[in-house]
Amino acid sequence: MRRRKRMMEDLDQDIREHIGMETQDNIERGMSPEEARYAAVRKFGNVTRVKEDTREAWSFVWLEQLLQDFGFALRMLARNPGFAVVVILMLALGIGANSAVFTFAEAALLRSWPAKSPESLAKIVATTPQGGTEWFSYPDYRDLSEQCQSLEGIVAWSRHQMTLRVGAESQFVLDDWVSPNYFTVLSVHAQLGRTLSETPDPTRELIVVISDALWHRVFNADPNLVGKPILLTGKSYTVIGIAPPRFRGLQREVPTDLWLPVSMESASELQDRAYHDFELLGRLRPGVTATEAKAEFETIGRRLAEAYPSTNKATTFTLVSESERLRDALFPTFMLMTAVGLVLLICCANVAGLVLARTEMRHREIAVRLALGAGRGRLVRLLLTESALLASVGAGLGLLLASWLLRLQPALLPPAPFEIGLDLRLDSSVLAFTLVAAALTVILFGLVPALPAANLNLIPALKPVQSGPGPARRFGMRNVLVLGEIALSVVLLTASGLLVRSLVYSRGLNAGFDTRKSLVFFDLSPGLAGYNAEASLRFFQQAAEKVGGLTGVRRASFARRVLLSDSEGGAKQRVSIPGVELPQGQPNVPIKFNAVGLDYFATLGTRLIEGRDFRAADGPSGARVVVISETMARRFWPGKNALGQQIVADGKDFQIIGVAEDAKIIHIHEAPEPYMYFPFAQSPINWGTLIVETRGDPRTMVAAIRREIGNVDQNVPVGVRTLNYLLQQAFWEDQTAAGFVGALGMMGMFMAATGLYGLISFLVNRRRHEIGIRMALGAERRDVLRLVLSEGLRLAGIGIVVGCCISLGVTRLMSGLLYGVRPRDPITFATSSAVVILIALVASYIPARRAMRVDPMVALRYE
Amino acid sequence: MSTKEQKERIELLQGTLDLLILRTLVRGPAHGHAIAKAIEFNSDEVLQVEQGSLYPALHRLIKRGWIGVEEGTSENNRRAKFYRLTAKGRRQLAVETSKWDKLAGAIAQILRPAEQEGEP
Repeated sequence: MRRRKRMMEDLDQDIREHIGMETQDNIERGMSPEEARYAAVRKFGNVTRVKEDTREAWSFVWLEQLLQDFGFALRMLARNPGFAVVVILMLALGIGANSAVFTFAEAALLRSWPAKSPESLAKIVATTPQGGTEWFSYPDYRDLSEQCQSLEGIVAWSRHQMTLRVGAESQFVLDDWVSPNYFTVLSVHAQLGRTLSETPDPTRELIVVISDALWHRVFNADPNLVGKPILLTGKSYTVIGIAPPRFRGLQREVPTDLWLPVSMESASELQDRAYHDFELLGRLRPGVTATEAKAEFETIGRRLAEAYPSTNKATTFTLVSESERLRDALFPTFMLMTAVGLVLLICCANVAGLVLARTEMRHREIAVRLALGAGRGRLVRLLLTESALLASVGAGLGLLLASWLLRLQPALLPPAPFEIGLDLRLDSSVLAFTLVAAALTVILFGLVPALPAANLNLIPALKPVQSGPGPARRFGMRNVLVLGEIALSVVLLTASGLLVRSLVYSRGLNAGFDTRKSLVFFDLSPGLAGYNAEASLRFFQQAAEKVGGLTGVRRASFARRVLLSDSEGGAKQRVSIPGVELPQGQPNVPIKFNAVGLDYFATLGTRLIEGRDFRAADGPSGARVVVISETMARRFWPGKNALGQQIVADGKDFQIIGVAEDAKIIHIHEAPEPYMYFPFAQSPINWGTLIVETRGDPRTMVAAIRREIGNVDQNVPVGVRTLNYLLQQAFWEDQTAAGFVGALGMMGMFMAATGLYGLISFLVNRRRHEIGIRMALGAERRDVLRLVLSEGLRLAGIGIVVGCCISLGVTRLMSGLLYGVRPRDPITFATSSAVVILIALVASYIPARRAMRVDPMVALRYE
Repeated sequence: MSTKEQKERIELLQGTLDLLILRTLVRGPAHGHAIAKAIEFNSDEVLQVEQGSLYPALHRLIKRGWIGVEEGTSENNRRAKFYRLTAKGRRQLAVETSKWDKLAGAIAQILRPAEQEGEP
């Protein structure tokens, strides 16, 4: 740097000397001193240019110019902050959405197995007569790993659920039963302690490896945890190690909390060749190709099919290598990225429109610069610097937006008793992607308007008269784009409007119990603490009695199942009804059922229409009784009284003593169906749910209730759900669809508004002169306003008509998601159209106001 | 400075100025004005250097280390900068010269047959 400065200082003197010498020479040739100096300067050329070029030889000049351009761009943007803000928001939206979707695609599709050299891993799959499957029985796994030569090792894992108790708290955790070679084949090492060893432990001690997430979540990253026992579903396990951070097991969407060696389980299912519960992942031996391994797997499969025809008949094995998996993932990734890339493209088009509108205003400025000797290349660079500045701020904000979007993941997933969701993170590949996206953006929205500006024809542009309407072609394209945006936003708004109306309707549906009550549910599994069904009944009765006695608790009951949740997948019992003709002459019908404790109906607020509730007398020794649903009564005893009738379920007779209102069994949108309530005391089972109605906020009572349950038996695992959680789960689909489409609608609206604003601004700038003439000829401001607004409304009108037509088709496809509102609901269509018109008015009003302020004197002065 | 004189002069090809400067400095250090004059004089005034363009070229060469610069006094006793060829520059001159010869030879070869065709 210093050398350069010295050289540049000397240059001035050098040039002076040079010209001096040349002047001297010229004088010697006989010129007059004045003439001589003039000739010398002319011969030397442009001194400033020479200095510039020389400075360039010292090469930091590009940086200097960049800083200059940068400063200039900042000044230009600061002069028009509204423009800058809109453009930056637009780009942040486009780039942010792209980065978020890319992150998702990376985590969901592209990311390799969380293991060392994942490229040599291959998922083992089977084809059975029923179709392809990734699930294997443990005996099949053993045979495969023993017989197979082409793989270095195969790991097996199977997902289960346990309760972890720490202090008085217990919670659900997800564990994987894994083959002992799991960690060695994957080459995953414990961050603390050790992982499982391949040789089984002779002491047959119960051991467990826990995840980093669980270690932090539950054990506050206690460094002394290794070697200590933890309580899992009533048994004590020794923690032997903590898995490394970020290792979440082999299932992308649902992280594993604990790993247990499968060898500890002597469960009979491990011997059962028909029990397909294990997923297999193998590591290819070095030098073995996937094709060779596949051939070997086929052979082994055939051998097993012959040896065990009852379970393995017509079953073949093969594997999916990592490169095949990636290849399969590319197409969905591509589709995803194309869709969201289109959003970025529209953003760019809009921004280009805004920039174009602005360049139109700057024509004269650019022409003056060109006339004063600015190089066209330099000018393009100047405009590009401006674009790059906007794009980089946009990209920065976009990344913030993306990280915020990714943090929304839990809200987009259905509520679950354990942690689910992809491991989404903005890592270097996402940053690289964002950079590329931003660079493309600069090229797309920066260069397109910059090039014509640099090729400006000086003479007409310098003339003060504004050019008239430009070539129609460019308008055509932009008109179509803006029309498309308006139509799209109408479609999205209509769709989200319908979904919101449907959600409001669903929220108002009668669930068959009182959803305004303060209810809290405790899922209890006495079976896991060694209880049988009869002992469990006593446990539930005691728990309900103790909890019911707490101050702050209004009522407590219990049931085998909770409404609005798919516990047991809605299991049914076959029921025959003496004296009633069943459909299609069937001897019996499957009907969903529940087993409930005393006070169940009162606790939940389910109305009994006829008959009576269960009594303490309806116990194991009493007469068998049942309460049925309204729909069941109406279906089998139409027009008659169902009370006192008999049904036969599970080979036993039951007398109907009551009819309850219909309740939503699994899903809020299901049609009412027959349902039966048996007294828990007459058909007990060793798990169930304690249902508690509290007087105040149920959350404040949870700890006290748990303590009370613990007083009955503290070894019984407890899971807690609030009514709110239950409802969230029930409405998750509707809420997510409405929220998601609504967000898209907002985005579409923003884009349509920006697009329209850019187009109308462009038009207004082009027609300044014409507007000036109109005003000079006596047009009122009002007329100008009308002129511009009508332009915007014309576009909006066409867009809305097109959008409504598309909506008619789209909403018909959505009809499966809509409840209580027709897909052609006129109110929704009218509302979304009105919203779009409003937005169009605002978007055109801003440039219209500018048009009204055109001073005819200024616009016409240079005529 | 007549128009006729201007017409006979040829503008330098891009990049050849560096070569000419190096060649000129083989004869010893010279100041800027002297280099310009030497190029014009040695080419029988066919090659015209816009004298200003000499300076960016000189600075480029300094930066590459092909020439050095030192203070001195000109023939009419003025203080001036003298540019001198470095060892590196001398080697570069050889490279550039052979490159130029090849280029000139190649172009001549392309052009010569055309002349012969035109002769008969």
